[in-house]
Amino acid sequence: MKSSYNSHIKRIVLGLVVFAVLGFVGKIVLTPKSFGKYGPYRADAIDEEANQEIRHGTNASCLSCHPYEAKIHLTGLHKTISCEFCHGPYADHIKARKVYGKLPVKKKQEIKVLCLRCHNRAIQARPEEVIKTVVMPEHLEKQKVKTSHTCDQCHHVHAPLKYINRAKKIVGIKEAS
Amino acid sequence: MGKPDAELDKERRAFIKKVLNGTIAGSLLLVLPMPITAATPEFPEQISGIRGKKWDMFNQRFAFIVDITRCIGCGSCCVADRREYHVPDGYYRTWVERYLKDFNDEVYVDSPNGGLDGYQSPRTDIDVEIRDTFFVPKLCNMCKEPPCVQVCPVGATFKTPDGFILVDRERCVGCAYCIQACPYSARYLDPVTRTAEKCTWCYHRVRKGLLPVCVNVCPTGARKFGDLNDKSSEVYKLLHEHEVLTVLKKDMGTYPALYYKGLRREVV
Repeated sequence: MKSSYNSHIKRIVLGLVVFAVLGFVGKIVLTPKSFGKYGPYRADAIDEEANQEIRHGTNASCLSCHPYEAKIHLTGLHKTISCEFCHGPYADHIKARKVYGKLPVKKKQEIKVLCLRCHNRAIQARPEEVIKTVVMPEHLEKQKVKTSHTCDQCHHVHAPLKYINRAKKIVGIKEAS
Repeated sequence: MGKPDAELDKERRAFIKKVLNGTIAGSLLLVLPMPITAATPEFPEQISGIRGKKWDMFNQRFAFIVDITRCIGCGSCCVADRREYHVPDGYYRTWVERYLKDFNDEVYVDSPNGGLDGYQSPRTDIDVEIRDTFFVPKLCNMCKEPPCVQVCPVGATFKTPDGFILVDRERCVGCAYCIQACPYSARYLDPVTRTAEKCTWCYHRVRKGLLPVCVNVCPTGARKFGDLNDKSSEVYKLLHEHEVLTVLKKDMGTYPALYYKGLRREVV
């Protein structure tokens, strides 16, 4: 005996249809636009990452406007050192190709701290073929200068042996004559 | 009375013509893209073959090589990284570890402030004779099978088709699963945005033909980065020559794209 009342089936089917439609609309509304282009993530995030501000330039970009420093820096042993490590990032100085801010210049004791980041022999693991190192008060004593001397009083910061080599040359000529 | 009507008309016409020309030229100037005023690019290209063509998302292979034997622990890379991304204090996208080994094969590792201030003095807190010291720079390993991507519940961290693991700051909910999953501890939760942050190998720089900032500032060439599709690049040569190159935590099966040259077995 079949029941002629089928409203309960209609209600269930209607409920399922409403549920499916809501789910489908919800998925369309809530899924970000570029989701799933390459995989289960928002592909636009790649472009967002790629369009971040570049804050560091290259040495070439710095030296193109500073020819005097370029001449010294590129001929010295410090030519592999980045300008921006000591002076600060490019973006703090230049914006849209115009000078935007002044970068600080390291002075006196700051310079000594900066030099000893690399040149301190007390830290092992600095092979001689990679970098020349010194032991600090000892080096000053050996060179017969005051122990209060800072590194830049003898070594040009951009080309550390610039003055040393020149002095050697002058002394050498004197000794010869 | 001044000029006759016909002459006035002529002047008027000339005036209107000038105004019209001006407006048309002005609007065109706004609509058309401006030609590049300076002939030279702001930053010279460092990775060849990227500029001047469309980025092929599916055919890129990059590798990062850290040469332990050349690292002097100056911390330039850490300083540059901090400045490029404004990384908050106490968090590190890249850092330099110092390994000390005594004659009993005991290993001591430290990394004061992530190597950000450099290594100014030797360790004073251990009273043993040191046999060997070396520095190990650490950063994201850009795994080919990244565990951080597997565990992300919202698809906020992902591996791009060109091989970089990036974080979508808009979707990240800050659950920190990825931070726990990373075997190399390369991730942290940004204290301001409350989203996961990590080293991206300077994706924004690489896409524009520039080297990652840590590679750019390294004074001894301890950090190397390059395109493996370019057979003349330094990394390609290093990876295809008889060099001892190893990866960190090989047994984890993550297949990192970051290789170490001269790595010792003490390093984890």
